Amino acid sequence: MRLHRLTLRNFRGVQDRTVQLPSIGTTVVVGDNEVGKSSLVEAFGLVFDLPDDSKSKRIVDIQPVGHDVGPEVTAELTLGGRELTYTKRWLKDRSTELTVVESDGRRTSWTGREAHNEAERLFAEHVDPVLWQTLMVSQGQSLVLPTPADAEPLITAVTAESGTPVDGASMPLVSAVEHEYLRYWTPRGRPTGEYAKSAHAVEAAELVRAQAVKAMEEVQADIRRAERLTLDLDDLSTRLAEHLKSVEELRERKKATDEILLRRDSVRARAETARARLENHTRTRVERERLLADVERFTQAAAEFADRRIDAETVAKKAAETVHAAETALAEVVELKDARRAEVQTAEQKVAELTDRAELDRLLGLQTELVEVRSRIAAASAVLDGIRVTDEIVTDLEDARAKVVEARAALAAGVPDVHVRRVGAEVVALSGTGLDGGGSPVPAELDEGAEVSLLVSGELVVGVPGQVEVTVRAGGEAATLRSLVDEAVRREKDLLKRAGVRDLPAARELLRKGEKSSAELQEARRTERSLTSGGDPGERIAVLCARLGITDSEPEEEEEPPAKGKQPIVEDVPGQMSLFEEFEEDTFDFDDLVIPAAAAPGDLAGAQLLLEGARTEFATAERLLADAEFAAAQARKAADEDRSEAQQARARAELAAERVAAAEEALDAARTVLPDDQVEAEEEKATADVETVLDELTVVQEQADAAGADEVAGDLADALAVAGRLQGERDTLRDSLRTTEGRLEQSGRDGLATRQDTAELELAALRAEYEGLNRRADAARRVHETLGRHRAEAQTKYAEPLQTRIEALGRSVYGPTFRVWLDDDLAVAERELEGARLRVEALSTGAQEQLAIITRLAISHLVSTGDNSVPVIFDDALGWSDKGRLRDMGALLGRAGDHGQVIILTCMPERYEYVPRATFIKLG
Amino acid sequence: MEITFLHSSDWQLGMMRRFLGPDGQARWGQARLDAVARIGEVARETGAAFVVVTGDVFEHNQVERQTILRACEALKRIEVPVVLLPGNHDALEPGSLWTSAQWTGHKPEHVTVLTGSEPLEIVPGVELVGAPWRSRRPLSDPAAPGYAELSAAPAGTVRILLAHGQLTSLSGGMSDVPTIDQAALEAAVADGRLHYVGLGDRHSTTEVTERIWFSGTQEVTAPEETHPGNVLAVTLTDTAITVEPRRVGAWHMVEHHVELDDEESLTALEDWFAELPDKERTYVRLAADGSLPLPLLSRLDAMVDAQGEVFASVERWAKFWTVRPAPDAADLDALQLSGPARAAMEELRQALASGDDGAGAALTLMHRLARDAG
Repeated sequence: MRLHRLTLRNFRGVQDRTVQLPSIGTTVVVGDNEVGKSSLVEAFGLVFDLPDDSKSKRIVDIQPVGHDVGPEVTAELTLGGRELTYTKRWLKDRSTELTVVESDGRRTSWTGREAHNEAERLFAEHVDPVLWQTLMVSQGQSLVLPTPADAEPLITAVTAESGTPVDGASMPLVSAVEHEYLRYWTPRGRPTGEYAKSAHAVEAAELVRAQAVKAMEEVQADIRRAERLTLDLDDLSTRLAEHLKSVEELRERKKATDEILLRRDSVRARAETARARLENHTRTRVERERLLADVERFTQAAAEFADRRIDAETVAKKAAETVHAAETALAEVVELKDARRAEVQTAEQKVAELTDRAELDRLLGLQTELVEVRSRIAAASAVLDGIRVTDEIVTDLEDARAKVVEARAALAAGVPDVHVRRVGAEVVALSGTGLDGGGSPVPAELDEGAEVSLLVSGELVVGVPGQVEVTVRAGGEAATLRSLVDEAVRREKDLLKRAGVRDLPAARELLRKGEKSSAELQEARRTERSLTSGGDPGERIAVLCARLGITDSEPEEEEEPPAKGKQPIVEDVPGQMSLFEEFEEDTFDFDDLVIPAAAAPGDLAGAQLLLEGARTEFATAERLLADAEFAAAQARKAADEDRSEAQQARARAELAAERVAAAEEALDAARTVLPDDQVEAEEEKATADVETVLDELTVVQEQADAAGADEVAGDLADALAVAGRLQGERDTLRDSLRTTEGRLEQSGRDGLATRQDTAELELAALRAEYEGLNRRADAARRVHETLGRHRAEAQTKYAEPLQTRIEALGRSVYGPTFRVWLDDDLAVAERELEGARLRVEALSTGAQEQLAIITRLAISHLVSTGDNSVPVIFDDALGWSDKGRLRDMGALLGRAGDHGQVIILTCMPERYEYVPRATFIKLG
Repeated sequence: MEITFLHSSDWQLGMMRRFLGPDGQARWGQARLDAVARIGEVARETGAAFVVVTGDVFEHNQVERQTILRACEALKRIEVPVVLLPGNHDALEPGSLWTSAQWTGHKPEHVTVLTGSEPLEIVPGVELVGAPWRSRRPLSDPAAPGYAELSAAPAGTVRILLAHGQLTSLSGGMSDVPTIDQAALEAAVADGRLHYVGLGDRHSTTEVTERIWFSGTQEVTAPEETHPGNVLAVTLTDTAITVEPRRVGAWHMVEHHVELDDEESLTALEDWFAELPDKERTYVRLAADGSLPLPLLSRLDAMVDAQGEVFASVERWAKFWTVRPAPDAADLDALQLSGPARAAMEELRQALASGDDGAGAALTLMHRLARDAG
């Protein structure tokens, strides 16, 4: 079908508009909202759907409000190779006109209902409603993905192209197969429903059968056991009966021999009695002999012990004496040892005393040296204290001296040098101020011939009384020069005063002396330190004196301070000190010690020799003492032993005596019962009795042996034992048989065989049922699997043409990685891009819309070759696509026009500006 | 003198047949008891003086109590003395039901169990000797103890041997237990030690010689049995004997082999079923061979299933059930299938052609589903 022209009159807002559409290519109908773009689509639908006398709401709705006019639509189109012009007016002045021009040019016209029917017939004949609905996208539907499976033209196209016939007819079979499969299997292929139940039932029945069979096997086993037991029991009973016969015979024989045995027993009894009596007499005799022997033995023993006792006591006595002697000797040695110890102590004291003396002498020597050194220290210190000159002072003095000389020279140069000589006799008087005679005093008068030369820094008056008076006055700087000289001189004097010397040379001399004394002092101090290095000798001297009993001869308070006269003087240096001031605190006066003459060194050596000797003696005494103590201990030990020996001997002797007494008492007692001479006689008599009865016994025994009496009893006992055993065995067998028969009777009552048969019967029935189900289930699975496989293959093959086209178009938009998969309704189910495969529902709105458009264009392309193709109509699409996509989709829509009629209605033409070769129609 | 008595055997009360199914089993079990009751009627009709049952009265020694009590009830329906001989199924072994309280406590007065070999004068002038089985595994000719020691019967005394077991001549040497020496029996009959030998164990009524008979079971137990369901009415005179089998059984067990290749053969089978009498008391063991187009195969299945409802039981004899579907293109075309469905069916058809039986079942199923769906 192709639309060529569409005219609307009084249709909604449209008064009269005709739209001319190219029969091939893409047409974009542009118009703002409400100008009636959608009306075009609607009108085309109405003109074919509703007759002119229709009162449908759809018709009422299209009448312009407030205008009593009939809405009219004229459509010109090609349908199945015919050209149709179809006009219809509703409501007012209703009319329908149809003109059909055949391909061969024949023209036919209809009016009224006929026209409507004919148009409807032609439309139904050549336009597949599904395809028409699929390819006409009304407003807001652009997102809906088409499901064109039932569109006949499409089916014809894909079938023709894929060579696979559409399989719609077999759908009921598919669902029947599915239903049959699910009767026996879960979707995951596990048995279910009655099939699974049946399998379980069979398992249960097998279990029951197994139990029943086992029970019956036990019954069979019991039957065999019972049969065996019965046989054994018969056999045993026979053996027992025979055996009991032989027991009876033995009993008879025994009766016969019992009399002999009775006799033998009585003789045996008598023999026993006789033997007992004989033993009794023998015991008496032996006892008597023993008693006699005891008396004799004990008496001898008593005598021996008495002798031993005497010996032992003698020995003990001797030992006691030895002890006494040893202890006396010990006492002596102890005394000797004490004496030797005293001698050692004395010698030690002597040696100590002499040693102390020697030490005292050494210390006194030391002390004397120390006194001398200390006096040297005192002297040097005194000298040093008297000297106030130092290197600095001497340097200052030298400087001061130079200044004086310099000032004086300046003065001499700056003031008049007046030379006065008395040439006559006349008195020449001199006076004035600021006169300097170069250090010599200025005389008041000059002697005759005397002359003087003066530097006048003030005023000199030279007169000859009564004759002349000459006055010389120093002018200019004389006064300044003078003051400089005075200043220098004053400074020098101050320095000399501070140093306590007259002049510079004296100062230098004094400095030299100071250095000398300082050296001496240091040396003396070193000596003092070496002397006192071992501690202050004074203290040790005091200790030793105390130890030696040496004391001062005079009390201390009478001590006098040493005479001042001894002080050494530093010449021209005032303020000197006392040498002995250091010793004023000393409390010990060595000079007054009364020290005995020092012992000769030989004395000490002698004393030490004596000490050695004494010590040796003492050691010897100690050895002697040890020996003596050992001897005494030995003696005591021996004495103790001898004493206990004696005590034991005494005890034994007493015991022996007691035994003798006891033995004699026993013997006497025995003799009162039976005198010694009768004892043996009685024994012999008893012996004779025994022999008699034994002879008798031998005779009886021979009789018993002859009759085999003893064997019979034994045989009978054995036979009875065997009988007992056999009876026991028989009873056991009988019991087991009873038990087994009891079990069997019970199993009979339980009807075990019937149970087994019933179980077998039920199992067989269930198995038969299961096998039937199993066959059906297998068949269902086989059919399900086979059909499923073929459907999958067919589906793939069948969908291929549409799929290929969708992918071809899609790739021009999305690139080479674009792929799609279709479902049974040939609707796109999944899309893959860049390897990412997604369900369409998961795609973005834009992508979904694009996919919907691409799919429609693909369908249109597929069916375009057939007579029943229809235009693709998009009412306002691509609302969700970005610019980039718009460009690609535009190109696609353009190309789609090459195969058929593509009509796009939009109020936004810019969306479609990229559609190549598109015809734009603007609705004003 | 003339004496008439009934000879039966192998009642095997308590026997079960798995091919009958629970319902069939119950009815068949009752039928075996009813047959015993009918023996009572025959006894009345023939004026029999007593009834002997030569072995296997019960299926086991351990049958359920109900079976024993119902047997006792059935025996009460026989008004003349009844002598029962323990056979291999109900041997007089330890735990035998013959010594159980359940039997001894309920056994009717007129019933005697032959437990020894000493002659029993059941009615004046008639001496019964028997050889009861004392174990299921006898060591020698199980009939011998019954007559080995006997001399010729006193004049005027009829002597009947009751024995149970296979005859050497009939067992074909296949029996795993000692068999009965037929020659010895015949000799005993010839020299007048025995006048009639009533045998049990063989379920088909069988005349061994004029005076040696297997009565056969009172009610059929397997399709292989040739003349089951009878009781023998034996009449002895001083010189002659007449043995008349009288039917007391009501059931049939039939084995049927058919070759099915086309609609005719199928129709023939339907007719065969239709003609069988006593359907509700008949068990059919059906063996079928051949191959059928799918529609006929479905029809066969439907028919067999339907007959299974009508008959006591119709069993497809698995061992001999080799009917294969033979689908031809026409069948498939008839279904008007196209595309994958057709392809799938085609695949199954070829698999079947190459001997894949599973494919046969699948194909049949698919055919049925397609037909019902179409």
